[in-house]
Order: sequence, then C-alpha cells, then structure tokens
Amino acid sequence: MIPASFEYFAPRSLEEALQLLAHHGTEAKLLAGGHSLLPMMKLRLATPRTLIDLGRIRGLSYIREDGGRISIGAMTTHAEVESSELLRRRAPLLPETAAEIGDVQVRNRGTLGGSLAHADPAADYPAALLALDAECVLTSQKGTRTVVAKDFFVDMLTTALQAGEILTEVRFAADSPRTGSAYRKLHHPASGFAIVGVAARLTLDATGKGSAVSVGITGVAPKPYRATGVERGLLGQTLDAKRIAEASAQATRGVEPLSDLQASARYRAAMAAVFTRRALAAALGRAQKQG
Amino acid sequence: MKRKEDPRLIQGLGHYVDDLSLPGQLYAAILRSPHAHARLRKIDRSAAERAAGVVAVITGEDIRGVLGTIPVAAALPELKVPPHYPLAIDNICYVGEPVAVVVADDRYRARDAVDLIEVDYEPLPAVTDPEKALEKSSPRVHEQFKDNQACLWKIEAGFPDRAFKKADRIVRQRFLNQRLIPVAMEPRGVLASYDPGPELLTVWSSTQIPHLLRTQIAAMLNVPEMRVRVIAPEVGGGFGSKLNVYGEEALVAHLAMKLGRPVKWMETRRENFLATIHGRDQIDDVEVAVKQDGRILALKCRLTADLGAYHQLLTPAIPTLTGLLMLGCYKIPAVKIEYVGVFTNKMATDAYRGAGRPEATYLIERMVDLVALELGKDPAEIRRQNFPKPKDFPYSTPTGVIYDSGNYEATLKKALELAGYKKLREEQKKLWKQGRYLGIGLSTYVEICAMGPSSAMPAGGWESGTVRIEPTGKVTVLTGASPHGQGQETSFAQVVADELGISPDSVIVIHGDTQAVPYGIGTFGSRATAVGGTAMFLAVQKLKDKLKRLAGHLLGVDPKRIEMGEGKLVVKGKPKKSKSFLEVVQAAYVAKTLPPNFEPGLEATTFFEPSNFTFPFGAHVCVVEVDAETGDVHILRYVAVDDCGNVINPLLVDGQVHGGIVQALGQALFEEAVYDENGQLLTGELMDYAIPRAWDVPRIETARTVTPSPVNPMGVKGVGEAGTIAATPAIVNAVVDALRPLGVRDIQMPLKRERLWALLEARGS
Amino acid sequence: MKLEGTQTISAPREGVYRLLSDPAVIARLLPGCEKLEPAGPDTYEVKMKLGLAALSGSYQGTVKLSEQRPPEHLRLTVTSRGPWGFADGDGGFTLSEQGGQTTVHYAGELKVGGMVASIGSRLLDGAARMVIAQFFKNLEREAAAE
Ligand SMILES: Cc1cc2nc3c(=O)[nH]c(=O)nc-3n(C[C@H](O)[C@H](O)[C@H](O)COP(=O)(O)OP(=O)(O)OC[C@H]3O[C@@H](n4cnc5c(N)ncnc54)[C@H](O)[C@@H]3O)c2cc1C
Repeated sequence: MIPASFEYFAPRSLEEALQLLAHHGTEAKLLAGGHSLLPMMKLRLATPRTLIDLGRIRGLSYIREDGGRISIGAMTTHAEVESSELLRRRAPLLPETAAEIGDVQVRNRGTLGGSLAHADPAADYPAALLALDAECVLTSQKGTRTVVAKDFFVDMLTTALQAGEILTEVRFAADSPRTGSAYRKLHHPASGFAIVGVAARLTLDATGKGSAVSVGITGVAPKPYRATGVERGLLGQTLDAKRIAEASAQATRGVEPLSDLQASARYRAAMAAVFTRRALAAALGRAQKQG
Repeated sequence: MKRKEDPRLIQGLGHYVDDLSLPGQLYAAILRSPHAHARLRKIDRSAAERAAGVVAVITGEDIRGVLGTIPVAAALPELKVPPHYPLAIDNICYVGEPVAVVVADDRYRARDAVDLIEVDYEPLPAVTDPEKALEKSSPRVHEQFKDNQACLWKIEAGFPDRAFKKADRIVRQRFLNQRLIPVAMEPRGVLASYDPGPELLTVWSSTQIPHLLRTQIAAMLNVPEMRVRVIAPEVGGGFGSKLNVYGEEALVAHLAMKLGRPVKWMETRRENFLATIHGRDQIDDVEVAVKQDGRILALKCRLTADLGAYHQLLTPAIPTLTGLLMLGCYKIPAVKIEYVGVFTNKMATDAYRGAGRPEATYLIERMVDLVALELGKDPAEIRRQNFPKPKDFPYSTPTGVIYDSGNYEATLKKALELAGYKKLREEQKKLWKQGRYLGIGLSTYVEICAMGPSSAMPAGGWESGTVRIEPTGKVTVLTGASPHGQGQETSFAQVVADELGISPDSVIVIHGDTQAVPYGIGTFGSRATAVGGTAMFLAVQKLKDKLKRLAGHLLGVDPKRIEMGEGKLVVKGKPKKSKSFLEVVQAAYVAKTLPPNFEPGLEATTFFEPSNFTFPFGAHVCVVEVDAETGDVHILRYVAVDDCGNVINPLLVDGQVHGGIVQALGQALFEEAVYDENGQLLTGELMDYAIPRAWDVPRIETARTVTPSPVNPMGVKGVGEAGTIAATPAIVNAVVDALRPLGVRDIQMPLKRERLWALLEARGS
Repeated sequence: MKLEGTQTISAPREGVYRLLSDPAVIARLLPGCEKLEPAGPDTYEVKMKLGLAALSGSYQGTVKLSEQRPPEHLRLTVTSRGPWGFADGDGGFTLSEQGGQTTVHYAGELKVGGMVASIGSRLLDGAARMVIAQFFKNLEREAAAE
C-alpha cells in the first residue's frame, strides 16, 4: 500500500501536458481521477517514474451538445456524467451506466477518460460507449485523431492509445426520436465491477420495427464487444419480448467468455444472455413510451 | 442514550496507532514469503542494507535464541505445538510468513528496500486441503511431526450408539464452514519505544488484549513485565483477529530496543489478508438419530478443523467451543463428537466473531431443518418439540455445559408472529406455483457468552474493574475489558451513573493502558458487560457502602438507613434529611470527619470471577427470494428476536445485532478465503474477497425477550456475537427452503449466485 | 491454472519444430523476453518483462527444453520470479502436420505465486490468453520469415 517514488507534474495546459508526455515517454503515466492508477501504484503493480496530473488543466471537463452530437471532455467525472441534465435528456444510457460505477467516492473522483484509457475488462463505460457508437478523440503533439470505440479497445487493459497521446474527448450522436436505452449489470460481489454489463440502445421506426439496435457488452470477454449476433436478430424486426429473448441467446456468439473465482465461463455466457434480454426489454419499453 | 465515543470518532479526533508519531521514529516493512512451503536456503540482504535511509535489516537468524516463540494458550491433550517464530527460521509454512524486516527512516524507503532482499527459496510440496493433509501420502507441514494431525479431542455422553440403534431415521449431512477473513476496518499496527532512563518499553498496539500482550511481550523479549507498558489506543475493530499475540508485536518492540529509536509498523490490507488470523474453516460430518415423531435422540459429528500452519493464541481451542455448543437449543440426550485439528500450509485460524459457536449453530440449525424435511414437518414444529422447557433451567447438556436460563419457545413465538409466519408459508405456496422461489428460514440459537469461568478458559476468565470517585464528584472507571468499538465507554458509564445517582456525563471510562488500568483480560467472547461490567458493578457497590457509611456518620444516623438518591444520599423515609453526593465525596477526601477505621479516598477495585458462562438465545426469521435466472438472493425480510438478559443500552444492543447479522450475511452469501492447491491465497484483496456493502444489507427488524441471567448481579448475558451466530443458518435455511421444489436439501456456503444458478439450471427451472 | 489449446501455423512441421527448439527463436517468441542466455544443457537464463500493459514488471528466470522428440513433441518449462512473486509455466507441445500446415497442441500448467496470485486472479485468465496469443502470433511471424 506504499507506492514507489515518482516525479509529479501538474501541467496547467494540454500543450504542457503533451510536452511532458513526449519528453518522459513510456516512463510517464497520466493521472486522472487516480482510482485505477493509484491502487495499482500502492501495490507496486504499476511503478511509473513520472506522473502527469491532468487535474489542473482547465477545459478537459465538459458535456455539450452541438448539432445533435454530444461531446464529453475526458476529465469529466462519473458523478458529473451521472447527474448531467443534458445527458439524461439526450443520451440517458451514459448517466445510467455512470450511476452503476463503484460508489459515491469513486464516482466523485473517477473520470470518463481514465476509465476508458485503463480499459479494465470489467469496467462499465465501455459497454455504453460501444452501444453509442462513440468516437474517442486522441490528442498528441502531432495533432488529433479519432478512433471509434470498437477499435479503441484492443485487449485486456490495452487500448489504441499510442505513446504521447492523451484521450481528450468522447463524442457520439444524441438519441434520435423513439429511441430507448438501458444498462443492466451483474455486480461482482467484491469489487462491484461488472461480471456482466450490457448496454443496449434501440430506435423504433413508425411501425414498431427496430431501425437501429446496438448492444455493448462488458465483463464477459477480455475486451468489451458489440453483440452483433443479437443486433442482427433484431434489426428490421418488430420488437417484442419473445424476439428479444431469442436474439439475446446470441449474446456471446463468437466470444470466449472469461472464467474466474466468481463466475465460470459458462455462467458468464448464461448471464450475458439474461442481462442482454433485460437491457433490451427495458430499452424497448422506454422507446415505446416515447410514442 | 447515544454513544459517548461517537462525537470524537465521527470528527476524526480519535487516535489510532497510525495517528501517533514519536520523535526519531523509524518504520518497519516486512518481506513475506510468496511460497506456501519452502526451505530458506539463503537470504542476501546486502543491497537492502545499502539502500538509502535503511537503518537495519533483520532475518530469522538474527532472532534465533533472542526472541521467544509466539504463544499458544490453548491446552488440549497431546497438542502438537510447532515452534512459531516471529521471523521464519529455516522453513516457510504459509504464504505471507515473515522472512525479513527492514527498518528505515520512512515507510517508503523501508518498503523500497524490501524488494532488494534476495531470497533463495527451495519450494516444497504444499498441502491445503485438511482431509488430504490427513492422508499418509501427504506432504508434512512440519517435518518434525509424523503427520499433520495437530490434536484430537472427543466428547461422548448419553450412549449415542444405543440411541442410533433405537432411531426411526438417521439424517446425515456434511457441512463445510468455509474459511473467512476478519477484515477489521483498521489493520494491525504497532509502535514501540524504549526509554533507557526508566528502562521502560512502551508498545502501542491495535489489540483487544493489552494486558495479556504485555505479559507475552515481556516473555518473548525476556524483559521484566513491570518494564513493559502496552497501550491499545483507539482500535478500529477486531472481531477476534486482535485477540492475539502476533510476531510483529514482538519484532517491533525488539527493534525499538535494539536500535534505540521508536519503530512503527502498520499492516497493509494485503498483509492483513495474508497474515492476520482467519476464521472458521471446518468440515463437519454430522448425523442425527430421530424418532418418527420428531424427537432427536442423539447427534454424532466428526469435526475436521483446518488450523493452518501454526497455532496462534487460541487456534486449536476454537473448535472445542463448536463441540460444547453443538447440541444448540435442543434437548438431545446423547452425543459423540470427535474433533481433529489439522495443519495445512495456510495462515492460522483463530477466534473470529462467534469463534466456534457459529459453526456449531450452523450445523445444528441446518440439521434440524433437514430433520423437518425428512419427516415432512414444519421446521418451527420440530424446533419447539426439542426445546428444553423453562422449568428445565439451569439445563445441563451432554456436552458438559450448563445453560443458565432460557425460554426458547417464547422467543420463537414472538419471532414467528412478527414475521407473520403462517401467511408467509401460504404466500410461498402461491409463488412456488408461479415458478418463483420464496424461502423462509428459521434459526433458533443459544450461544455461550461472558467468557467465562476461569476453570473453562485457557488462562483466566475473570475481569477487573476499578471505580474512583474523584474529589470533585466526577468518576473515573478503569476497566480491563479493553473495548474496540463495542461502546463500553457509554454502557459502563451508564451503569456507574445509575448506581451513584449522577449523570453519565460525569463518568469517564479508561481502558487499554496497562499503566493506568489494573490487570485485565480483554474484550472478546461477548464478555465485556457480563464479566467486566460486573466487576465494575461490584466495585461501585463497595463505594456505595462507603458513601452510605460516611453519609450516615455525617447525618448522625445508622448507615443502613441511608439510600442513594439523585445527586444525594438520603435518609430512608425522610427525604428532607440528606447530604449531597458532592458533600459526602469531599468529606471522604478532606478526611477530617471520618467514622472510625474509615479509609480516606473513594476508590474500589473488584476482580470478578463468574461462576458460569451465560447463554443468550433467540430466534431469527429470514425471508428470501432467489432470482430464478441469475441465482441472486434477495433478502426480503429479516426478523431478529434476541434475548440477552437485561439490557443496559438498547442502541448498543441493536447495533451489535445489526453488525452481527451483516457479518453472517457475508459468510452465508459471498465471503470465502480461497487458497489454491499450492497454498496461494487467491482472494488476497477486497477486489476479490467480498464483504457485505451497505447496499447488500436488508432492513433488520429487531425485538427482544428478557430472561435475566442468574450468573451475575446485573442479570446481563452478552450480545456481541449473537447476530453472527444466529443469522448464517437463518439465511442458508431460507435459501434452501426457497429451492425446495427443486429437490434441493443442502447447498454449500457461500451461496454464490453461480452455485444457485447451477442448481436451478440443472433442475430445468 | 490449466492451459490447453490448439493453434495452426502455416508452415511444415519440421520448420515449426526447429523454431520451437531454437533458444534464439524462443527469446523472440516469449512475450516481453529481454535476454536469454545458456545456463546448462537445454537450460537458459531469461530476463523478461511480464504483465499486462501498464501492469508489468521485470522477472528473472529460466527456460528449459525437455522431452524433445523431433519433430512431434517437446516440452518447455519456464520459471520466473520478480518483485510480485513468481510465475512458472510448464507445457508440452505436440505437433502434427496436415497439408503443409502444422497443428500445435499445447497442454500445460501455469502456477503463479505471491501478489500475482492473490490479487490478479480476476485478470489471470485473460492475461494468460494474451500471452499465449502473442506467443503463437510471434511463432507464425517467425515461420513466415523462414
Ligand atoms: C473501489 C473502486 C470501485 C470501482 N468500481 C468500478 C466499477 O464498478 N465500474 C467501473 O467501471 N470502474 C470502477 N472503478 C474504477 C473507476 O471507475 C476508475 O475511476 C476508472 O477506471 C479510472 O478513472 P480515473 O479517472 O480514476 O483514472 P486514473 O486511475 O487516474 O487512470 C487510469 C489509467 O488511465 C490513464 N489515463 C487517465 N486519463 C487518461 C487520458 N485522458 N488519456 C490517456 N490516458 C489516461 C492513466 O495513465 C492510467 O493508466 C472502481 C474503482 C475503485 C477504486
């Protein structure tokens, strides 16, 4: 519980942070909310020589909408996402997901950017980001590039972030009319992370058919994934409980579920189907309510 | 009355070990073995010694012949006691065993240097399953012993074999009472300082037993006991895990003396998981002989206890408490118990909230439910049928204990009424038909508290209490029962204030400092109020006598005619004729107008030796629904009716019941210390080891019946562990009951979702 | 933890076997391997960086080749220790060929101790998969470069 020594920088601007990052290379780690990094440092599982604290940089924490596109700054805390009126109206999936992360203390410190960059295979946000078809904006001294969520998560604890890059923003389209979404999670009894976390968003056309369906699943495999088998089973179909149940059986199609002390691969697979069904059913109910 | 302790604790004004700092203080960090079983071939500490800030690095070789072994106070016939040193010498027997200590000028540098120590281990085969450990072919945890059996203890009474022959049915079941990790909120910590002038070693430790620790540190360090002072400052929970003497306490004290500077060591959470005692870990193979009408004739049990690698203070004694309590609150005339203690390559088990009694209650309460199932009877009915009646008390059990007082039927009746038992059963039938799994679990328990008469304890079961009325009329109470969260500062103040007719605000309770407080035993085994409280109660009686004598003298009446009033001493029947409390107190100190042969001052001490344990009891009802798709258990209702004798402070009693139930819920539903077959602790952090969170806790409905104990003058029994003892089987019984339509008769704890899901799935729900 | 699986490499068996039994190649196959030097018959000393992304540490250990029956079977035993404890892997590789492709069946055991075991169990399954996948990816690349 006692970290190794490190050098600490608190840059005041993004440029300064990028410069420090370029200068210190792979020996440096960015510090956001510290709620994943510091526990690892205390156990000395991570021993970065340099910490670059993003906490003093103004302008990395915001939630705004511009022409139907929502953008969120990387340093926005889980609590800010959870309580954002804008998001609750325009993309309620994200606040619903944020509310399921850890406890109040964790949500007050942890950030969207930190959670995504850390890429814990059981983190909650990734499921929602996938379901929202979000893009991650990565900034380096060379400029910015955008990576879609699907490509951002590379493997367990591994993302598309390259040396010298900072995740600065996440963007996605706000919900269109007749859209419903839901996040459903089976909590790990010890860590509170997701054994299975399913984020579903669907849009109904005028006839009640699913014109857009997306399902992001976390906790089940080494990296979060889109349950394309489920989506295919629902797209263009008249959505009802029965159809959703059938399609949800495809929740782990093509993935090899993880196994650990709390849940075997078999149980994870079964729960992925159950929680996919529950998330989709809730999303459908909400979409239908919009009339 | 609210807790007197809370304002300072809530405001962060309490001082725990880590809040204390002394000038020139050094920090210790410990290198621990990553192997469960190994020979220590070579330790190279040169790099660590050269590291910045490092003052000393010591290994087992440095303490050989210098420090004594870690004590075990349990006396059992033919107990094997392997030498257990504060630092490993030659061999490693569990993951987390201390191998070396680094002392440096700050805790970071101490920790840095730990990684620089090179240890050459020769790994040896490990054994972690106690039944495998008993096989001939098993690796031996301690080579000097011919096998891994640490002890064998038996009880047989009432002709059990004959009873089994007479039985209509025999019901058998194996129960695994899994290993738990106590997880006190504050880990252990020690600060030691040696003052060469007065030759005084002072040790601050997060402990439940400051006086016993002082005696043992003196012995381990070979220092005269009067030159050792132990202080337990604010202690952030213990649950039995700090009812112990640990190697680190001796090591830190030794280093402070050796280096001539104060040394502090704070346990990390990881160390707390690896190297602070664990609890439970028993396998109970039980069979009961029953008559068709529901009477239980006899019980047999083979109890295999996984003791871990070494004995801590009470390790092998804990399962004997399981033995003593195994017949629960039932009049079962015959019993046969065989307890085998086994060494394995794991951390030692020892007292953890309930200490042996939760295991007993679990197995008997599960068994009674199985009997009901077997006979097709209602579990409440079977219980009622086998209860001893109020007229049977004091009731001597075949296991050799005497239940002091009880009225078991009354508590059960009250609990069933509160829960609406009959309605619940009807509701259950309806829901079952709809494919929903509602379950109702009962647990009627009795437990052993107020540890205890010295004859039944490893070493001393009495307690001390001192009451001093100061010249200003304020009162200082000194208790040997060192609390660590229970609230004695409140309840003891209440008792003394009541007796003296003053406000509890005028009373302070001092504890935990061996230089301030007379020798005492400590707080554990739900003994503080019934034993420590009684000592204090008796001490205050002595003062009352003295005050009355003096008041009589001052008023010129026979002291027999004086009684205590609110803030005054009054002549019986003449309310106008009185002396204020303060006047009398001052007279005792001014000492100019004392009766003949009257000692000045107002201080009295009692060492109270109880004549028996006390036996609180109760009935808990738990209602659950199991999610048929996920195996998730939802606790819908929890009703606890407890009888702990007379109640001093209802808030404290409810708090103990709530906390106890929550800990039981942990064991029932998710807690489990998992070692792999190589002896690696896989649940080594709170990320993997699940303790209950606020959101896991249901609303708990509490109620009481009051059956005073005849064992002490206050008629109190104890309630510190009741919740933990009662609730585990209540919850498990409820879940098993919920899944009854699937033909389920037992489920192993913890009732993990996947385990339940597998049952639901296999039976095609 | 038991590890077992099958991977197909697009190269003939002899070649794949040669790669798997060549210490210079093994150094390139083992993810994070920084140094591999002879230390006895079929035994090598290794230095490697083990772990997951941000969570990696330096380990020292040995690699041992045994049960060599070219071109169909060999066994690889890796022991390593570092500040977090130890990680020992021991596994047999059985090679068969079909249509110019080699199927490598591996079966073995991974033993971890100390911190890695006690706090990493949640990630162990995934981490082992990553290391194995990387190992075979490297093997495929080596085979292609032959
Ligand atoms: C008790 C507890 C319970 C938790 N429960 C949950 C849970 O239920 N669900 C869940 O999803 N999470 C949970 N978490 C994790 C929590 O959400 C973390 O806050 C989050 O994973 C990391 O965010 P952070 O801002 O704290 O990042 P940090 O810990 O500061 O950083 C994490 C990693 O990301 C890197 N990083 C941070 N910001 C950036 C950036 N902008 N660009 C590039 N790299 C960056 C850092 O260098 C570091 O490697 C829990 C944490 C704790 C302590």
